[in-house]
Amino acid sequence: MIAFERFTLANGLRVLFHKEPATPMAVVNVLYDVGARDENPEQTGFAHLFEHLMFGGSKHIPDFDAPLQAAGGQSNAFTSNDITNYYDVLPAQNLDTALWLESDRMLSLAFTPKSLEVQRQVVIEEFKQRYLNQPYGDAWLQLRPLVYQKHPYRWATIGKNIKHIQDATMDDVRAFFQKHYHPGNAILCIVGNFELQTIKEKVAHYFGTIPSQTKSPRQLPIEPPQQKFRIKTIQRKVPAGSFYYAFKMGKRISDSYYLADLLSDHIGNEKTGILYTELQRKKRLVSEITAYITGSIDEGLFVITGKLNPKSTFEELEAAIWPVLAQIKDKKMSKSALQQLILKLRTAKAFQDQGLLNRAMNLSFFELLDSAELLNTESARYEQISTTQLQQYAQVLLDKNRCSLLQIQPK
Amino acid sequence: MLDRSVAPPLLPIEHISFVAPQITILNNGVKLFWRNGLQNETSKIELHFAAGSATNDPLTASLCAGLLINGSEKRTAKQIQKALDAVGAYYDVSLSQESSVVTLYALKDQLIKAYKVFHESIFTAVFPLKEVQELVHSRRQKYTVQEQKVGFLAQRQFQRSLMAGSSYAKLIELSDFDRADRSQIQAFHAEHYLKGLKKVYLVGDLTTLDLNGFEVLLNAYGSEIAERAPFSWQPEQGATHIEQEGALQSALRIGRPLFNKTHPDFCAFSVLNTILGDYFGSRLMSNIREDKGYTYGIGSHVVENTKFGYFVIGTEVGVSTREATFQEIQHEFERLKTELVLAEELELVKSYLMGQLLKSADGPYAMLDLFANVETMGLDLSYYDHYISQIKAVDAQKLQELAKRYLNWEEMLIISAG
Repeated sequence: MIAFERFTLANGLRVLFHKEPATPMAVVNVLYDVGARDENPEQTGFAHLFEHLMFGGSKHIPDFDAPLQAAGGQSNAFTSNDITNYYDVLPAQNLDTALWLESDRMLSLAFTPKSLEVQRQVVIEEFKQRYLNQPYGDAWLQLRPLVYQKHPYRWATIGKNIKHIQDATMDDVRAFFQKHYHPGNAILCIVGNFELQTIKEKVAHYFGTIPSQTKSPRQLPIEPPQQKFRIKTIQRKVPAGSFYYAFKMGKRISDSYYLADLLSDHIGNEKTGILYTELQRKKRLVSEITAYITGSIDEGLFVITGKLNPKSTFEELEAAIWPVLAQIKDKKMSKSALQQLILKLRTAKAFQDQGLLNRAMNLSFFELLDSAELLNTESARYEQISTTQLQQYAQVLLDKNRCSLLQIQPK
Repeated sequence: MLDRSVAPPLLPIEHISFVAPQITILNNGVKLFWRNGLQNETSKIELHFAAGSATNDPLTASLCAGLLINGSEKRTAKQIQKALDAVGAYYDVSLSQESSVVTLYALKDQLIKAYKVFHESIFTAVFPLKEVQELVHSRRQKYTVQEQKVGFLAQRQFQRSLMAGSSYAKLIELSDFDRADRSQIQAFHAEHYLKGLKKVYLVGDLTTLDLNGFEVLLNAYGSEIAERAPFSWQPEQGATHIEQEGALQSALRIGRPLFNKTHPDFCAFSVLNTILGDYFGSRLMSNIREDKGYTYGIGSHVVENTKFGYFVIGTEVGVSTREATFQEIQHEFERLKTELVLAEELELVKSYLMGQLLKSADGPYAMLDLFANVETMGLDLSYYDHYISQIKAVDAQKLQELAKRYLNWEEMLIISAG
């Protein structure tokens, strides 16, 4: 049980506080409700480029990192298709330093042309390092537009292509900040050994004077239901064929998310899952295979992925995988198997919850999703699931007409 | 009224408490280190075996680690996994050059049950031929993927050249996979696992009954670890480039032999290394990423083994900026040798290191890792008080002296791939 307090400032900033008496550290997490899904299709990669710029100095503070490091702390951030999340971890007695830094960059960035120029280059190198100069590195750049035709999940956080990053102007960057970086679009979470009253005073002191702004409503294109199986084959300089079967699943907040999560664990486990036992062990078609879910806020993906054995072909795998998926739909999982999955989730959650930063990030994310209480109540949602529900859901989920397949073939 | 241009006052870290685990010496002489007082449900047990990959046959060491929990006298690989699933446990096996570390994670009331399965699996591992073949096959394929990565190519060449003349230079080659041999894996298991338990770390609010249960099982292992031959190496210097056609980036590894924390210069060098390249505001990051935009990241590190240590700078840069990056790294070496580090930067790095140490000591899991870092080197927790006093005492002159001694470009091994 992660106990927390919640309050909202007059300017709309939502604040969560979780007291942890056992730690000498403090965590300050700031989640902004903006991700790659909020980008203009002609200017993709902006949310992530912007994350880089947030470390380039703010209105009153020329350098973000140095004061935090001098306080004994450290900072980082990540951008996803849904959110941009910043965090600072520092000795508790210097909490003010993190609040001072985060509030100033929420107020206004410095926006220097030099910072934009350099971070543009850094992001281009990141693009190369993570997506282009790696075997299979561009798989998701290819898979997304196959699966999503309207919804902005059709591009990756790094962007559709390098050109969008190269073309970013100061005006574009300023406009992005104006629209998305303000108290009403943020959730602040503080973890550490503090009193609620102290936190209220400090937060009001640093964040209270940031002007409020109306949150612009999000109107994303809706992805039309997929009617037909899609397949795309690309050739790359890779040693082995690789495949991605992506099925549309529900939103993060829907009941089906929990069903999909359990199902992916059940079929994707090495040694015991049916994908391994049938396709790797028995038929020897693949050298590795697993299943996982993306867990995105809007309609996500249930993905079965792996690599082909050198002697087998994509056609052989195609012929073999659908009968395996049919077995999953036809046969109910045993009650004991379900109980084991839930016990494993409990173990994993207990380990996750002991990290301070994890607690801060999860409280913030769940607050955005619906309510931070979810951190404590989600386990119960898993425990309510029956084997019948799982089977019924598998029948809906593993429908070939709602599947998109990307194959990467060795050149 | 808040004046945003004025930084809040900083408070120094007055005290860090370093908590030692309880130590039990088992009948076989192995030390069991236990941390409790977690006040949550988590627990883990971590077994360290003298089964690292720095041997004449790194593939056998690697396969043995990979197959350790893949079939025993009583259970098949699948049955083992099912038995662990039944108690909600997870495990991982991590192989370094010096040891093989096998960790089991579970809720505290399930750990002993999970460990009984685990123990039987490791202790009576049979290495079924089918499992051996499957792993060899998948490792070979993974290797061919790795071979396409410039970082992998540079890292291997760096290791081979820096550790030349020692068993640490021996790496798995593609052709080794054809020679994989089950009987060698079995022999390695008998020698390095059954007789090679070095130590055990245990974390969790466990009962006395459980503790006794672990002790009984752990006593089955021998601890007759043969003393390794005295460590010797002939590290190489100079530049080598590995061309990879079509690469968009080059991976760089630049380094030299150094020392581990048993050396008198270690603490002061840690400060120098941090200034140079071991935090986000470091000189290499500020110059090569934040000023020039040549890379997504660059860092320098001191890597420690029990018998030696080395210094290494690693990065991946655009192919066209490779030479310029070399120039900038040399420039940063020269600055450290010719200009005294200013007080502001030195103070910042000292505070940063103290903050990081405080964080590393926070919570039973982190604290036990911190303890392990010194215990492995034959030191105890008093080392950290020594470290703190050394960090506080180091001045700009000392850093300059160390830079002159250890950061000479012509003494570096310089590897690039891509």
